[in-house]
Amino acid sequence: MGATSFFSALMSDDTQALARGLRRRDPELLDGLIERYQYRLFRYLLYICGNRETAEDLFQETWVRVLDRGHQFDGKSKFETWLFTIARNLVIDMQRRKRPLSLDTLAETEQNPLQLADTNDPSPLNLVFAREEEASVQASLLGLPAIYREALLLRFQEDLKLEEIAAVLDAPLGTVKSRIYRGLQELRRLLEGGKA
Amino acid sequence: MTEDVHLSAERLILREHVEHISPQEREWLDRHLENCPDCTRLAGATGQALQSLRAVSIPLPPALASRTQLRVYLRAQERRERERGGWVLWTSCGLSCAIGIASAPYVWRAFEWIGHRTGLPALAWQSGFAMWWALPALLAVAIVLIDRIEAKV
Repeated sequence: MGATSFFSALMSDDTQALARGLRRRDPELLDGLIERYQYRLFRYLLYICGNRETAEDLFQETWVRVLDRGHQFDGKSKFETWLFTIARNLVIDMQRRKRPLSLDTLAETEQNPLQLADTNDPSPLNLVFAREEEASVQASLLGLPAIYREALLLRFQEDLKLEEIAAVLDAPLGTVKSRIYRGLQELRRLLEGGKA
Repeated sequence: MTEDVHLSAERLILREHVEHISPQEREWLDRHLENCPDCTRLAGATGQALQSLRAVSIPLPPALASRTQLRVYLRAQERRERERGGWVLWTSCGLSCAIGIASAPYVWRAFEWIGHRTGLPALAWQSGFAMWWALPALLAVAIVLIDRIEAKV
């Protein structure tokens, strides 16, 4: 057995074990998953909602749904793909309850939802530069439509494959690529505009 | 250089970050970038945009994980209690059905006897028997429905 297939089998075993644990609603497993995915899930929700309070509510709701529907995870796909799909459906449900819209039209964002994390850089000057840079990226990101923000996050921060993103978004591969290309073009344009 | 060439270069610049480009396309793009300052600037800006995107970090709300763990724990407990209640309910239903089937001929005769003694029309005492037969199932359905409504709320 080659190294690649060995690791693939190992990962597949892990996912199968995860699926079994979710079916049993294993509390320790769920606690561990919440710890492990808290940053990635919260960031994803914040990117697509653009509101910290809503993202926090939906974060909790997502894990409750993972508990309720754990038996539906078949272990054939990556856990994070399934997790993001649940989170995304909750955002769409929430939007539908508010008014009959889809995620495509979700653009309302609060003033400064993507607050910066403290950096450990000891140099005050570097800190100022880093913060200015991040603030500019933040503003540019918030200027993007939610569907582009989401596609860019899944591709470049989550490093998901295009096929996995298509599964999360429940969209054809061509649509996914087009959203990423357009989002990237738009982000570049906004960032250049910010620097000009 | 025609505008099409720059458009092709821009498409390749984007594609190399999202998918893969072939060695021939890579070679063509490199040659084009050597002679085109505008596309070189575009390639730099795209790389910079991606680097900035990857560098964005966000702070987590305080105790987000522990608050969520508590909520999930409470939900799991609630589910366990509901499942236990459901098991009791369906066992009772099963027993009730079994007893109902076994005792049906005797109860039918009892209803018939009461009907004759009181002079009730046949339809009345037969309806009474049907009610007696259906009552446990109706109760079980009502309990399940109430339970589901409460769960949704």
